[in-house]
Amino acid sequence: MSVIEKEQEVVENLVDLLSEEQVNTNNEDLYEASVDRYKKYAFARNALDVPQPVAIVYPNSSDEVSKLLQFCNEERINVIPRSGDTSTEGGLENWKDITVIIDAENLNRIVDIDTYNMQATVQAGVPLEELEDELREKGFTTGHSPQSKPVAKMGGLVATRSIGQLSTLYGGIEDMVIGLECVFPDGHISKIKNVPRRAGGPDIRHIAIGNEGTLCYITEVTVKIFKHYPENNKFYGYLTEDIETGIKVLREVMVNGYRPSVARAYSEEDAKQHFYHFSKDKCVLILMAEGPENIVEATGEAVEEAVDKFSDGIIEEVDSELIENWFNNLNWSQQDIEDEYEGMKENDSHAGFTTEISADWGTIPIIYNNVMERIKNEFPRAHELTLLGGHSSHSYINGTNLYFVYNYEINCAPEDELRVYHHPIHKIIVEETLKHGGSMCHHHGIGKYRSQWTKEEHGSAYYMLEKLKEVFDPNGIMNYGSIYPKEDGIKKYIKKEE
Amino acid sequence: MKIICLVKYVPNVEDIKYDYEENVLIRDNVKLILNPDDAAAVAYSLKAKEVNPDLSIEVLTMGPKSVRPFVEDLLRRNVNKATIISDPAFAGSDTYATSKILASYLKEKEYDCILTGSKSLDGDTAHVPAQLGELLSLNQMSNIISIDQDSFNEKSAIIEVESGDKTLTYRMSFPAILSFRKETGYELPYIKYENMSLDVSDKLNFISNEELQLDEDMIGLKGSLTRVANTYNKNFKEKNKIVVKNDDQGIDYVYSFLKKKGFV
Ligand SMILES: Cc1cc2nc3c(=O)[nH]c(=O)nc-3n(C[C@H](O)[C@H](O)[C@H](O)COP(=O)(O)OP(=O)(O)OC[C@H]3O[C@@H](n4cnc5c(N)ncnc54)[C@H](O)[C@@H]3O)c2cc1C
Repeated sequence: MSVIEKEQEVVENLVDLLSEEQVNTNNEDLYEASVDRYKKYAFARNALDVPQPVAIVYPNSSDEVSKLLQFCNEERINVIPRSGDTSTEGGLENWKDITVIIDAENLNRIVDIDTYNMQATVQAGVPLEELEDELREKGFTTGHSPQSKPVAKMGGLVATRSIGQLSTLYGGIEDMVIGLECVFPDGHISKIKNVPRRAGGPDIRHIAIGNEGTLCYITEVTVKIFKHYPENNKFYGYLTEDIETGIKVLREVMVNGYRPSVARAYSEEDAKQHFYHFSKDKCVLILMAEGPENIVEATGEAVEEAVDKFSDGIIEEVDSELIENWFNNLNWSQQDIEDEYEGMKENDSHAGFTTEISADWGTIPIIYNNVMERIKNEFPRAHELTLLGGHSSHSYINGTNLYFVYNYEINCAPEDELRVYHHPIHKIIVEETLKHGGSMCHHHGIGKYRSQWTKEEHGSAYYMLEKLKEVFDPNGIMNYGSIYPKEDGIKKYIKKEE
Repeated sequence: MKIICLVKYVPNVEDIKYDYEENVLIRDNVKLILNPDDAAAVAYSLKAKEVNPDLSIEVLTMGPKSVRPFVEDLLRRNVNKATIISDPAFAGSDTYATSKILASYLKEKEYDCILTGSKSLDGDTAHVPAQLGELLSLNQMSNIISIDQDSFNEKSAIIEVESGDKTLTYRMSFPAILSFRKETGYELPYIKYENMSLDVSDKLNFISNEELQLDEDMIGLKGSLTRVANTYNKNFKEKNKIVVKNDDQGIDYVYSFLKKKGFV
């Protein structure tokens, strides 16, 4: 059977399983579904090198997801789960001739908001912002606020182990998920119940959280909710001599036992792009305290004490209204994403790339400085860099993350841009991070692009990850190439050696 | 056929900041870019080379040695040869001294025409092409906005020149200096992936005053006849900075501001 005949047959089968309206074969939609934001520039310039999926399907229930997965499992058809479509590391990129995208669009119900037990249950396709808006009306919040909040959906946010800008107080999504429902390739539907805590063996939620569509399809999640006290919010901003001072202040606040919701330290280059109106070419430190009034007061005092302790590196305080303004406008809407695409169509440039890593407090400055040094000295196109810097935006008791940001003039063809610019920079960041014992993937997931280093990331514990795949997805139909390295795809679609 | 493209690497003026307290320009961290008018000249030459593969292009620039990676990228785009004239003794040269230095190199060379920009982003005087024409006894034309590809040969070319609100058409006999405007729309081609790190050092030539042997009185600050009576930065007054919120009030403010200024 030819590939085209096989494609037609698959589409017919999908229509039989669901309905005509639930199976989308529109060419433009399929082109869009063949990649995510990792190949954004090649996408915008019509220079993609990956095959298009055969269809995008929209199941209406967990049972329909189960039927779809069973069918694909039996037919050995690659499946890519999709929710909000904001993935950045190739998690949605297609590497197989025959692939079906299972989109959570119709799993769009807020099932329950339980303000007594402080939990909300939603289906995978509910946009985070929709849930958040409902909660805010009632005086509550999810506490989850990634920059992609207006677009990302709950299934994807859980599947990628996403994190929000208020994480230092509320935690990452893994701290918020109470229970969930997911469907495995053999069609089995597992529902993990909602309890405050239990000692019932290993915490199986974590098989689904962060699986990036490689083990199961998440259909429903229950997350914690929190009381929201926006009237108490306090914002703090400072210009600092260097990013190290900023990081030292963050550490001081954290290790003294305080939990500001926003805690960010920017290099001067990165600060310039976000805070051009006040950064004066200096590094910027930002903190925000939120919650009940007395906690906000205490957190604010702790921030001021920490700033005092490192006053040698602090240049001046920034008007807190400027920080509040920034905070109120930092999310990317669908319109912003589309505007970037429009810009990329017309210009040989884009809004830049990022790579996020994490490590303990002692190691983070070493990684930062080594990366900067190596990029400046080793990156053959360093003379074309228009931005190179970074910030720390999520802090923990034992360390923090670093979000490297970079941009460059593009002087090669759109299909070569990643190989020429992003990859060599990214490689240096990953190498330095792994060499010093950090993690190469703080919150965007491994996707396809970072799968080259999954084994190094996990070391001897990769055994555990590998066994999960063998057990839950023995036929390897779930998101081929994501997390688990596939040499053929890496060669063809990343290194372009074929 | 042989073309020499005369180019200059200039600070990207968009990166230059103004210190309102000291009234000075801050040039730190300013990136170099290929002067846009000159880029159009190289882009046209490469386009002509596509049609006529026998055409040979030499890029000539004068400046610090740090322009090397940028010049190498032109060689990776199919320019045949590049020459960087660089010597601390040339530093501080005015346009006249610069023209003399360039002319002393060019007078020994064979070429059919010299393509360059009309003016540079930083100096903006448009002196150098005309002075070179004088020194080399060549015809020179500025503000070229297009060249008729079919007419471009060893003997002459038909060119369109912007002159006020008119566009004039000329046939220029070669050898001559043709100075482009960036508005030509000629764009540099991408560097091919396999050529991105190509070693082009054998096509790159550094020339210093050791080779040119120009009298020290003719070059650098000493040789610069331009006497600057006074330099001053146009004093910009720091405007009152008003930061508005992204809310209805802020939007109203920006809208009425633009309206007052006549933009909407
Ligand atoms: C402008 C912008 C800002 C961003 N800011 C942040 C940020 O602040 N913090 C952060 O963590 N991330 C951020 N991201 C990355 C991205 O938003 C997150 O990874 C997000 O969690 C993806 O959610 P999504 O619904 O868009 O998922 P998708 O993009 O649809 O999918 C992401 C991955 O999860 C898998 N998946 C999707 N749905 C399911 C499902 N139902 N079951 C199983 N697997 C599934 C997909 O196969 C894919 O591998 C940002 C992205 C953009 C474009």
